Amino acid sequence: MLNLLGTIAGNVLSLPGILGLALGMTTRNLLLASIMGAVVGFAESLIFAGFDMSNVEMLELVISIGVGLLAGALGCAIRIKGTTV
Amino acid sequence: MTDNNSRPGFFRRIWNWFWTPTAVLSTGFVLIIGFLAGIMFWGGFHWSMEMTNTEEFCTGCHTMETNLGEYRETVHYNNHSGVRAICSDCHVPKEWNHKVKAKVMAVKDVYHELMGTIDTAAKYEDHRLKMASQTWKKMKQSDSRECRNCHNFEYMDFTIQETRAAKEHQRAIDNNMTCIDCHQGIAHRLPEGYLDEYKRVVDELAMEEAPKPLETASANTDTVRSYLKQSTQKTSGD
Repeated sequence: MLNLLGTIAGNVLSLPGILGLALGMTTRNLLLASIMGAVVGFAESLIFAGFDMSNVEMLELVISIGVGLLAGALGCAIRIKGTTV
Repeated sequence: MTDNNSRPGFFRRIWNWFWTPTAVLSTGFVLIIGFLAGIMFWGGFHWSMEMTNTEEFCTGCHTMETNLGEYRETVHYNNHSGVRAICSDCHVPKEWNHKVKAKVMAVKDVYHELMGTIDTAAKYEDHRLKMASQTWKKMKQSDSRECRNCHNFEYMDFTIQETRAAKEHQRAIDNNMTCIDCHQGIAHRLPEGYLDEYKRVVDELAMEEAPKPLETASANTDTVRSYLKQSTQKTSGD
């Protein structure tokens, strides 16, 4: 359980959480924002694994993509709620 | 009938204010303030996290006294070169992702300090093997990542190492071994039965990493029989 929470926290405070949120804030399209966040999550897992898919742990990959997806969606929601353009 | 003219509540007013576009601040002003606030927040966050990496912080709890005493008798505390590895150098990863994960997982230490799980020497000894085992598992899984912050086979000059050490390090390279495979108990006293426990940890990890059996290999025998029967009928039909 702690392992899972730690992985989620690590991703929230890392590229998927922060860059995913920032990218999500660049669009009003929820789907596009989520996809951009998920791509960041996937890219981060790949970067930390030294661009070798065999080093990517499935749990970490799923969590980083999930966190990126949610961060992108949240960024999009912030854009919709917080801007008039 | 509801009163539409009633004043919204405090939190609703804060919420509305937060999301209302500003009419008095320029974009540049908001960006600069946001940038400065970001630096202050991130700097403060990082500084606070680094504070939790100090030896004083780690050993601030009563339950850490035993392992602190043991560590102070080892080469990682005092040595001829004057380089010291403190708790966080061996137990906290340097990479951001892994570091945050380690910090979240360290919450359990606070819980056990409060619950008094290892607050007496007897309780500590009861849990020593389990605690060591968890650390060995983490180190084996990460290829002794924290050891490698300072040590690396590639940086070693075997010609100036003791013959036995050079031979063992060469063996470790040849057999794809990692630091913790030989150096358990490098900073803390080894528990009784540690060799058996370490073997169990290695076997457990090997099982986890072993390739999963193919779907066909675990298929129900009735399904296989039914498939063969159908194939045979089809062949004889042809």
